[in-house]
Amino acid sequence: MLGKLDWSAIPFDQPIPLVAGAMVLVAILGVLTWVVVKGHLPYLWSEWITSVDHKRIGVMYILLASVMLLRGGSDAIMMRIQQAVAYQSQGYLPPEHYNQIFSAHGTIMIFFVAMPFVIGLMNLVVPLQLGVRDVAFPTLNSVGFWLTATGALLVNVSLVVGEFARTGWLAFPPLSELSYSPGVGVDYYAWSLQISGVGTLVAGINLVTTVLKLRTKGMNYLRMPMFCWTTLASNLLIVAAFPILTATLAMLLLDRYLGFHFFTNEAGGNVMMFMNLIWAWGHPEVYILVLPAFGVFSEVVSTFSGKALFGYRSMVLATMAICVISFMVWLHHFFTMGAGPDVNAIFGIASMIIAVPTGVKIYNWLFTMYGGRIRFATPMLWSVGFMVTFIIGGLTGVLVAVPPADFMLHNSMFLVAHFHNVIIGGVLFGAFAGFEYWFPKAFGFRLDERWGKAAFWFTFLGFYVTFMPLYIAGMLGMTRRMQHYDVAAWRPWMIVAAVGMAVLTIGVICQIMQLVISIRNREALRDRTGDPWDGRSLEWATSSPPPVFNFAFNPDVRGEDAYWEMKAHARQQSFEHEELEYQDIEMPRNSPTGFVCAFFAAIMGFALIWHIWWMVILGGIGAFATFVVFAWRDHDEYVIPAEEVARIDRINIEERRSLVSMAGAV
Amino acid sequence: MSDQTHVPAGHDLAPGEEEQHSVGTRILGYVVGLALALLLTATSFFIAGTDLVWQPSIPVALIVLAIAQMGVHLVFFLHITTGPDNTNNVLALAFGLLVVFLVVGGTVWIMAHLNANMPPMDQIMRMQ
Ligand code: HEM
Ligand SMILES: [Cu+2]
Repeated sequence: MLGKLDWSAIPFDQPIPLVAGAMVLVAILGVLTWVVVKGHLPYLWSEWITSVDHKRIGVMYILLASVMLLRGGSDAIMMRIQQAVAYQSQGYLPPEHYNQIFSAHGTIMIFFVAMPFVIGLMNLVVPLQLGVRDVAFPTLNSVGFWLTATGALLVNVSLVVGEFARTGWLAFPPLSELSYSPGVGVDYYAWSLQISGVGTLVAGINLVTTVLKLRTKGMNYLRMPMFCWTTLASNLLIVAAFPILTATLAMLLLDRYLGFHFFTNEAGGNVMMFMNLIWAWGHPEVYILVLPAFGVFSEVVSTFSGKALFGYRSMVLATMAICVISFMVWLHHFFTMGAGPDVNAIFGIASMIIAVPTGVKIYNWLFTMYGGRIRFATPMLWSVGFMVTFIIGGLTGVLVAVPPADFMLHNSMFLVAHFHNVIIGGVLFGAFAGFEYWFPKAFGFRLDERWGKAAFWFTFLGFYVTFMPLYIAGMLGMTRRMQHYDVAAWRPWMIVAAVGMAVLTIGVICQIMQLVISIRNREALRDRTGDPWDGRSLEWATSSPPPVFNFAFNPDVRGEDAYWEMKAHARQQSFEHEELEYQDIEMPRNSPTGFVCAFFAAIMGFALIWHIWWMVILGGIGAFATFVVFAWRDHDEYVIPAEEVARIDRINIEERRSLVSMAGAV
Repeated sequence: MSDQTHVPAGHDLAPGEEEQHSVGTRILGYVVGLALALLLTATSFFIAGTDLVWQPSIPVALIVLAIAQMGVHLVFFLHITTGPDNTNNVLALAFGLLVVFLVVGGTVWIMAHLNANMPPMDQIMRMQ
């Protein structure tokens, strides 16, 4: 009846996951009760859960990412403590538990923190920057978000029901095959990635189409803000690369569920085919993550330097070059696995070539700052911190891209330091920069600068104290993923890294404090103008938070830095909107499709993991029925009458007037 | 790129949509496409089993027919044309082809080297 599921699945003998799980459960139940008792449920349902507004969906993506960052961060703290104490002893985490933690940490950080964070930022900002009212496929967008959330849910369920994979974040066979991992851990891993992978693909298709097909008047390709370009490149990569991941995991699942032999040791299976395929997705994936971050930095650096982005066209070219070259380097992840010198040399050279367009971008940002009047607000601090940090990470990347060097460094702590250097210093700093930069746009009030700066400095310092020792430990020969070790020389570095982790944690606490304090002081921090940073692109041309329809009139773009030009224009002539005729606006209706689909997907995923076949069928039918109902819907849009549009827009114009006159006075 | 300045909503052509043609022309297009596709399929089956042609040429012929089949699908069913409103579709197709070429080509190359360098254990035993 319940497949493999019985009471032995709950780890009663392991206090840590059980207590953690119980705490999370209590927290969730607490929040739910509060919501229901306070009567917020209808609001939550109609304004958020069923919302197809790209801004709301973007915010929900970022919320998901932030919550999962705390989960992944707890894993990280546990691992750093383990390695600090497990010298010539077993530490406090038994091997099977430690292995689950590092696997969950990597999986969560890449798929459920970094991905939703950047996708959330793109969702929130790109339609605003393009001057349009919505994304191309609003309901699909909501489906994508909820499927991603389903994947995250399944990973967290594994904490208390069953176990997670012990295979590392990419589940290499033969270890991940049934003969070596008979438990449900790998199944949790694979099904959560399959489900959230569909969500990611959907988000990718949606955003590519949005950038290609929905741009306001005059917004031709070479006038798009840089963030839109990196969004385009990143989502093209999603559309091209994620099917590879899906297919590879599907083959692994066929091996595990139906006795196939794609990647087994016996019966003609080929383990190396998994390596090859997973990295053919894996390398593009790192650029899927970092390109949007590059876009954020481009926006932030140019805004806070008060200058147009230096070398805009070279930046576009570099972005698109990275988009293609990222498909030509994947073998550098398995140089040591026997491809031989010819193949290694070619892929090594390609890997070094990909560092060139990345370098171009660094110079562009530096020259944008050069001669500018720089304001070191929090988003700018994250950007400058990124430039310094990312250069180090890029250089060590080029180092491990030299095959002979990689034979020494592969799978060592040096590699661990490299990729945290680029992912934290690149993607996470970018995500935080974007968060600080666009928060006032999303919510209508600024974030507290003092706590923001404290968060930056603690995170920045904490990063260096945590990860620079790992480079050294790697060069002293320490391999990654060690549950315990006996080499005295490594010990001090592990202790320093644990101290660094404490500093990083303070950074995270500051970030939370910043949010709390800012929400409390929101009236004082209110952004009435819609343009708190003196921005350059169209998202600042509308109010904060923007009305559902974003713009009463689709802006008419006459050059790069569209809003900057409008402002210059407006100073001379004052706003001319007055005479314009407001019109009715049609917006897509809210739809529970995404949530309901994800609900059934969660049931199906859980049932698949535990081999509960009747429940699989139930979930499958439910998801399909939801789709059919959605496809046969009659009304998908509602109308906002012209008077309402006019009323909302006039308020915005009034506020802006005062800004212009104030700016004129300066 | 000709379609750079779209007015959002309403005036957009979804990929593959052709507004100006009447229903008759469109049905004709699909019928021609279907006929060509069936013809190519039938030919493939015929060639695979025949001994009328020089045997080693059969795989080559099948590949050619398969590529022609893809072409028919792209033109008649997915409406990839060279029209000005189709730039995006053509570019997307080109990008897709490039990626498939890189990944498949790279995979074949890598796997061949891996197989040569790391034969299965029993093969190594036999070599010694
Ligand atoms: C400057 C260009 C870069 C080069 C040349 C480069 C090179 C490399 C190489 C050769 C490896 C494999 C080393 C080994 O396994 O022994 C590697 C691993 C890795 N890199 Fe980079 N990298 C670069 C940038 C990036 C960026 C921007 C990211 C992410 C945003 C990134 C993320 C990763 C990750 C996650 C791994 C480790 C995966 C694993 O084994 O679990 N790299 N890099
Ligand atoms: Cu790589």
